Amino acid sequence: MTASARPFYVAVGNEEQVFKAAFRQGLSILLKGPTGCGKTRFVETMAYDLARPLITVACHDDLTTADLVGRHLLQGGDTVWVDGPLTRAVREGAICYLDEVVEARQDTTVVLHPLADHRRQLPIDRLGVTLEAAPGFCLVVSYNPGYQSVLKDLKDSTRQRMVAIELDFPPSEVEEKVVATEAAVAPDLAARLVRLGQAIRRLETAGLREVASTRVLIAAARMTNEGLPLAAAAKAAVAGPLTDDPAITSGLVEMVDAYLGSD
Amino acid sequence: MSSEVEVRRLGLLASALAGRRLSVTHAEPGTATWTDGLTVYVDRQLNAQQTKQAVVVQAALIGAGSLEPTITASLRRRGDLCARYLAVEGQRALASLEALLPAHALSLLGPSRPPATAAESLDIAMSGVPIAAPPVVFGQIRPRALRIAAVATRNQSAHLPLRAGSTLQEMVDAAEADDGEGADLSSPVGGGGAIGRLLQRLTSAGRARDTGTAGAPAATHVARGAAKSSHRGRAVLATAQPGDRAGLARAAVLTYPEWDCHRSAYRGDWCTVRLREAIPAPHPLPASPSRALHRALGRVMPDLTRMRRQLQGDELDIDATVSERADLAAGVTPNEAVYVDSVRRRRDLAVLILLDVSASAAEPSATGGSVHEHQLAAAASLAMTLHDLGDRVAVDAFRSMGRDNVEVVAVKRFDEPAGNAVLRRIAGLVPGAYTRLGAAIRHGCATLEAEAGTARRLLIVVSDGFAYDHGYEGRYGEADARRALAEARRNGVGCLCLSIGAVTEAAALTRVFGTAAHASIAHLDELPAIAATLFPAALRSADHRRRTWQHSSRSRQRQELDRRTA
Repeated sequence: MTASARPFYVAVGNEEQVFKAAFRQGLSILLKGPTGCGKTRFVETMAYDLARPLITVACHDDLTTADLVGRHLLQGGDTVWVDGPLTRAVREGAICYLDEVVEARQDTTVVLHPLADHRRQLPIDRLGVTLEAAPGFCLVVSYNPGYQSVLKDLKDSTRQRMVAIELDFPPSEVEEKVVATEAAVAPDLAARLVRLGQAIRRLETAGLREVASTRVLIAAARMTNEGLPLAAAAKAAVAGPLTDDPAITSGLVEMVDAYLGSD
Repeated sequence: MSSEVEVRRLGLLASALAGRRLSVTHAEPGTATWTDGLTVYVDRQLNAQQTKQAVVVQAALIGAGSLEPTITASLRRRGDLCARYLAVEGQRALASLEALLPAHALSLLGPSRPPATAAESLDIAMSGVPIAAPPVVFGQIRPRALRIAAVATRNQSAHLPLRAGSTLQEMVDAAEADDGEGADLSSPVGGGGAIGRLLQRLTSAGRARDTGTAGAPAATHVARGAAKSSHRGRAVLATAQPGDRAGLARAAVLTYPEWDCHRSAYRGDWCTVRLREAIPAPHPLPASPSRALHRALGRVMPDLTRMRRQLQGDELDIDATVSERADLAAGVTPNEAVYVDSVRRRRDLAVLILLDVSASAAEPSATGGSVHEHQLAAAASLAMTLHDLGDRVAVDAFRSMGRDNVEVVAVKRFDEPAGNAVLRRIAGLVPGAYTRLGAAIRHGCATLEAEAGTARRLLIVVSDGFAYDHGYEGRYGEADARRALAEARRNGVGCLCLSIGAVTEAAALTRVFGTAAHASIAHLDELPAIAATLFPAALRSADHRRRTWQHSSRSRQRQELDRRTA
């Protein structure tokens, strides 16, 4: 699972030190931050630095405890136990990353409790065993407090078992570097895209659920590598995905033209 | 010159630079570009490029704090000073937002270093230094228009409750300062709309004073309320209408307990809820079912739900299959329900909308108009849309003057059609008095229990903030309201709360309802998006609680049975 080269991640604050400190102390980590600001990339980088395998689970509202822990399957005439991703991580001492954990049902996340606190155990009642987490096991969960605070929230009992790291979109000079490197484009093109992204992020009240993330800026930049004009790429990769509302779309297109239109 | 549509589309760009919601439209012909802080009015003479630049300059002035009231107060009725200030400050505003400026606006930046603050710019403008006239795209500054519009926006920037009295004073000032420009008063653009509304309020307050029905018990409370918080005096007076007396006499009276957090006990029959007839306005509230809201609420309860352990379905439920096989192997009769199926469910939903019509709602909202107007529009829109979707909807308005007098006005009953009669009653609601949230919630639940007749029940509180009542302050009031919500949820009633355009005190509502059941939105446009997330959560939690409650009561019954048979 470990990549051959260190994934590209530029630290903005002390998040790397905090992560590594929590990892060494066997504490669980809660990553907060908007969509597309680099949470997953950050975890990948940390897994590389700490030389641990990374097991990622994308959570959804139909995710059951059995999906995480494991279940019996039929093989021939017999039932065979198959480990779920969480159990595998506990046995192997891997970093288990639960992406968008609030999407999972609350009764599912309760299974994390004994793992996340000092016990570091995973009880599997269907097998009647309790697994001790192998050294190097680390539970990392992420969620996006922005749009989900209204919809769902993590249980307080879950939150309090975690060390929180807050991530946000990087400052413009870092983001320019990230966009330029990730998409392999010229720095000035990246700078213009970032300027557009920063402007869209100021539109807190305009009816956008989410703002332009670093991810969509990179996508726009990558589209230009195929010879697409910058404004057209940004319309397709930034304005289009953000909203379906025709009035807001036309406003965003206008912004794209204002910031990127002159070529 | 750009078309109106093209100009309107610049609203998002302007909002981004200003850092708050700003719309863009054309100015009156022959007028240079200006803004009142809510809208940028663009000069019709400018070409497409200049139009964008002009919008950027005005938005930057707002975003950089150049048009704060402390500054513009010094500019009033001094046209030459306005131009000098604009020339200096425009440069500063653009420079301070340089990192955000689009390419075409960068060319407006001058070579010299601009001053650091708006106050410095003002000092320079007031000094005798020669200053070149600002470029044409800079437009103009209109201190008076800003001042009028600031009435609505000051709340937002300063987070201070606006005094109703000073609003009126402000309006009178503005009218006096209005040197023969009387036409502005009725003009739909600019501050005219706001002035009209304020004038209306002034005259209605006057009318109420003239009737002088101070004998009724309601009026005594009004007088007490007015003495206690003088700044709400006028708004409260405006509610003492002649109809109050007749309404109270006919009222049905109900009592509800209240939770006393200091003693950790209920006070029995503590609050008296008086049911009043609504007084319809002559014209219905202009409201129509919103298509976006219809879509959002229609999706709230998906027709198809995935159910596990079904006898037939599209997919195998793996856990059920395994246990079925194991049972078979063990020689036990297996349960053959091993499929996951999509099952169509009926909505079967009743919604009661509780509308807070306390005096605090009369305050101007952050986005223009009063909070009360926004709340009425939201309640009307929700009621019409839910009714359209085939849900049973009722609307009650509530306010209180002490524990003996919690007024609940039936605006719409469950069995009534959502027609003009209802909209007229909504339009006839006048804000006044205080909020005793707990009693209103308990009464709402009782109404839902008695009249809803559906399996799913939802209580929506539309309120601007946690206002207080006599003996219902701070922690006590919050604890009681939280208790009332817990009672409601235990009975399987989903509860949620919406604040629209409110700027203060909404945090207390979040504490009471929880982050998952309270949303504060600035504008009605955001209602569909918020509804799409709030409603399912509230309904799900109510469903869940009802199930666990039924389950526990069933197991109690079984235990009872076991005990008796043993």
